Amino acid sequence: MGTTAFITGAAGGLGKAFAVECASRGFDLFLTDISETPLSRLSDSLRNTYGTDVHCYGCDLTDADSRAALYAYVKSGGFLFNFLINVAGLDFEGAFEERTPDQIRTMLRLNIEANLELTHELLKLRDPAMTFRIINVSSLAAFYPMPVKAMYSASKRFLLNFSRALGEELRSRNVTVTALCPAGMPTTPECIEAIEAQGFAGRITTCNVGYVASKTIDMALRGKPVYIPGLPNRILQAAGSIIPESIVARVVGSRWNAAHGRRMQRQKTFKAFS
Amino acid sequence: MENADKTIVITGATSGIGLAAAKELVLKGSYVIGTGRSEERCRSAEQEIIGICPGAKISYLAADLSSLSEVRRLAAGIRETLAKDGFSHLDVLINNAGTVSSWYVSTVDGFELQFAVNHLAPFLLTHELLPLLGRSQAGTVICTSSGSHYRTRLRWNDIMLRKHYNTLLAYKQTKLANVLFVTELNRRLAAAGSSIKAFALDPGLVNTDIGFKGTLGIARIVWQFRSKGGTPPEIPARSMAYLALDPVPRSTGKIYWKDCRPKEPSAYSQRPDIAKRLWELSERMCGIVGR
Repeated sequence: MGTTAFITGAAGGLGKAFAVECASRGFDLFLTDISETPLSRLSDSLRNTYGTDVHCYGCDLTDADSRAALYAYVKSGGFLFNFLINVAGLDFEGAFEERTPDQIRTMLRLNIEANLELTHELLKLRDPAMTFRIINVSSLAAFYPMPVKAMYSASKRFLLNFSRALGEELRSRNVTVTALCPAGMPTTPECIEAIEAQGFAGRITTCNVGYVASKTIDMALRGKPVYIPGLPNRILQAAGSIIPESIVARVVGSRWNAAHGRRMQRQKTFKAFS
Repeated sequence: MENADKTIVITGATSGIGLAAAKELVLKGSYVIGTGRSEERCRSAEQEIIGICPGAKISYLAADLSSLSEVRRLAAGIRETLAKDGFSHLDVLINNAGTVSSWYVSTVDGFELQFAVNHLAPFLLTHELLPLLGRSQAGTVICTSSGSHYRTRLRWNDIMLRKHYNTLLAYKQTKLANVLFVTELNRRLAAAGSSIKAFALDPGLVNTDIGFKGTLGIARIVWQFRSKGGTPPEIPARSMAYLALDPVPRSTGKIYWKDCRPKEPSAYSQRPDIAKRLWELSERMCGIVGR
């Protein structure tokens, strides 16, 4: 039996890149995302182009019932996996005080709860004949306390710590865990706009999503615990790790507040024009 | 000489070369269906053309050519529009829409954006409209290629440059793919005894906004300077109209045209093995089987 990968958030920018990368390597796929239509379109296309076996199932990962239905479906299909790529996640950027209780709950449920539960369930469905590889999409934001993205960076820090600990815990059990820590990626017009709002720094820290997906699979196959795509980002991370956190938070805060302000300003200008 | 009373489809006809060609063809009396990505821009292009040519036989259909299902929907819309106006054939299909992207962006079907819009969309739209073109006296397919198809090749091990994306390299590849497509299409049509002919048009350096689509930083600045030195879109539009209406190009056997004159395309673009391989890959990507 060949490699079968389970990918969450597979219809989004990075998830889609992972799906394409895995299909191009001849992996069979099980894809999930919140909406069924783009998912089945992508599945058809991957099947046509790469000739691999692709299954998909729409699931709202923030909802426990929807997740239960997903597990039931996977179990009834008799699938066994040896790759789990947890991509689904979201960010509500902006001042914490302005977030609604609903947004706070949604982020916790998707970025943390769903990731943990899914990892737990899929570990039970691993193919015993092969090494089981988990990729958790954390973020470069995991390395810093980030004002204006406080909840997001903390949730990604959670995933980073969890991945490292779980990887160590399951090392002798033929399981590897890799935390992917990318900077912003140009996947949607909104992301591209956010990268532009950061100016030069945004541009040099940005990696193309196809490259990130490909390199990350290589890293996971080597059992690397953490992967930061892009040399400028690895330098940033290294610099951040030797400077006291209070100073890092101050510096990051001033940059992000400025970038966030510019973005809001742009959106206002844009709205005034349209 | 030329028979201007033709039914013509032009993709990407809301700006640049496509809009200029639509104006030219409508003024000569042709029936034109233009396409564009945004409904709003389609409507305003339509108004603009009716403004300069009252009574113009022009209509527009909106479709996002980055999505294969949208391309199929567009083809159905074209068939419907033609039928509604009493036509059971299409004389000319001009695959002109094109784009540029600074970043690797993947489409709903999981393809790289430039590859999907500049190559797969023309491939699939032509496939869908071939039966209608076959019912014309002189069916013609024109693809807007570019001089940037020279001095490049297809990277078969990563044809969409997922791993090492480069804006210009990706663009050059898609324009090369256009010439390869035209080459293989002509070969297949001739083998099937069809009278349809396909041409690739080299528009030269033209002052349009293509360099501002999904790009940023240096690419935009460079294009700001380069496009100023380019010809206005009316110049390649004239060549486009010439290929669409004049019987002369059909009789020459030449497939690559610039300024109403044939030109030698790159040697790579004429390799039958490459053209066939790209064709078969494109068929798989578009989910076309058993032709």
